[in-house]
Amino acid sequence: MSAAPLSRACAAVLRRDLTLAWRRRGDIAMPVLYALIVVTLFPFALGPEDALLQRIASGVVLVTVLLAMLLALDGLFRGDLEDGSLEQLMLAPQPLAPLLGMKILAHWLTTALPLIVIAPLLAGMLHLPLAVQPVLLLALLLATPLLSLLGAVLVALTAGTRRSGMLLALMLLPLCVPVVIFAAGAVAAAQQGLPWIAPLAWLGAALAMAVVLAPLACAAALRIALDA
Amino acid sequence: MNAFLAMGGYAAYVWPAYAVFFAVLLADAIAPRLRRGRILRELRARLARQTARQQRGAAPP
Amino acid sequence: MANWIPLWVHKLGSPPLFYRFAGAARPWLLALAVLAAAGGLYGGLVLAPSDYQQGDAYRIIFIHVPSAWMSLFIYGVMAVASFVALVWRVKLAEVVAMESAPVGAAFTFITLVTGSLWGKPMWGTWWTWDARLTSELVLLFLYLGVIGLYHAFEDRRQGARAAAFLALIGIVNVPIVHFSVNWWNTLHQGSTVRILGPSKMAPSMLWPLLTMMAATKLYYLASLCSRVRADLLALEGGKDWVRKIAEAEGSR
Repeated sequence: MSAAPLSRACAAVLRRDLTLAWRRRGDIAMPVLYALIVVTLFPFALGPEDALLQRIASGVVLVTVLLAMLLALDGLFRGDLEDGSLEQLMLAPQPLAPLLGMKILAHWLTTALPLIVIAPLLAGMLHLPLAVQPVLLLALLLATPLLSLLGAVLVALTAGTRRSGMLLALMLLPLCVPVVIFAAGAVAAAQQGLPWIAPLAWLGAALAMAVVLAPLACAAALRIALDA
Repeated sequence: MNAFLAMGGYAAYVWPAYAVFFAVLLADAIAPRLRRGRILRELRARLARQTARQQRGAAPP
Repeated sequence: MANWIPLWVHKLGSPPLFYRFAGAARPWLLALAVLAAAGGLYGGLVLAPSDYQQGDAYRIIFIHVPSAWMSLFIYGVMAVASFVALVWRVKLAEVVAMESAPVGAAFTFITLVTGSLWGKPMWGTWWTWDARLTSELVLLFLYLGVIGLYHAFEDRRQGARAAAFLALIGIVNVPIVHFSVNWWNTLHQGSTVRILGPSKMAPSMLWPLLTMMAATKLYYLASLCSRVRADLLALEGGKDWVRKIAEAEGSR
């Protein structure tokens, strides 16, 4: 198989998924709204003192973004599974992994990117110092694709089952513990004036590995879960 | 014997730990036996239904 | 390397043969486990002197440490069986992997509960976010995820393969979690706790510990035997050999 058809197929999958997402623009707003609601509730629960909110700001924003992404992850393959286009994708002559990679990219662009865009607002609501905001954004830029990739493998595994919402959360928790630790650790270190490059470098290394391995694992998982 | 049961004042921690250990493992040991019995019961019921259907089919209407 | 594994698996991998083998081995394994546990507990609870620092509370380690070892050992067994199940599609390996998970979860749960029962008098708290405790908790979630995924599928074998894949992802994840939690702990300078008390253990304490470790391993094998037997009956429900067993048990 020559390289040209694969790249064209990838572009087609990406364009299709983005178009579908754009046609249902309301769905894109849901995770953002969810994150906004959760972050608004924290000061009510913990009290409005600046010092306290500053201390928890980065952690709250990260966990909120994670939960909002988890909420959206469930729908990554659902539509395609219901209308049968996922089977078409699996039968396509092109290798499955890069095509799934494109689907994950489209999903990241439509769910995680809006969350990253409003993350400064969320952090600002919790009085995160302005100087730390770039570190938070960088951490989110590295952590969210990692979560999308890891989550996609698990979503693929649950593709053949009916009830998967809570199960997905249970399966994702062990995988996202290191991601949350390093992302929040980087922001916390920056807040304390300590060097914050090392945890972000770890995140970057993990992301580089996940970009290569996760689509392959996702393809394998999908073949197992949909194997009739 | 009382000194042994008292565990040097730590009885409230040592004995519940052992109780949990044995309770969990006992439950773990009993569960497959119950499941085995259930599976075999269901299988026998299925076989009985099958033979009943065959006899009905063989007998002239 | 790649040759003798499938050969051996194929020989024992035939369900009726393994059913008989497991049925014959189980009582012996269970008897040995009970014997070893009785000896180990007598040595640990009665013969071993109380610790000069921890008093008698340290006697919890005779079940805590073997359970912790088993929680990791069973995960390893599950991962190896999962690998065999996915690569060679051996039915027995799927069953072994999936039936190991509940036993492993049980031992992980025991480890967490006995650990916090030991931690309360020793550290004054039931729970601390120590690297080892947190990793163990994550391990419990991994086990629960595998069990949950297995039962989410309607087709047993498909569920077993999906859950086996998850188990393999998990085995990559465990060291990463441990490393990251370690890093997190040093960052937050939390309560640093030495879990293993004195590094050199007196022989009077060591032999009961090792005996208990043998007992838990034997118990795991016995439990696995009876679990795999039950599962094979369910999986092979339509086959002749299962029918014979059902009829033999029904006439009794």
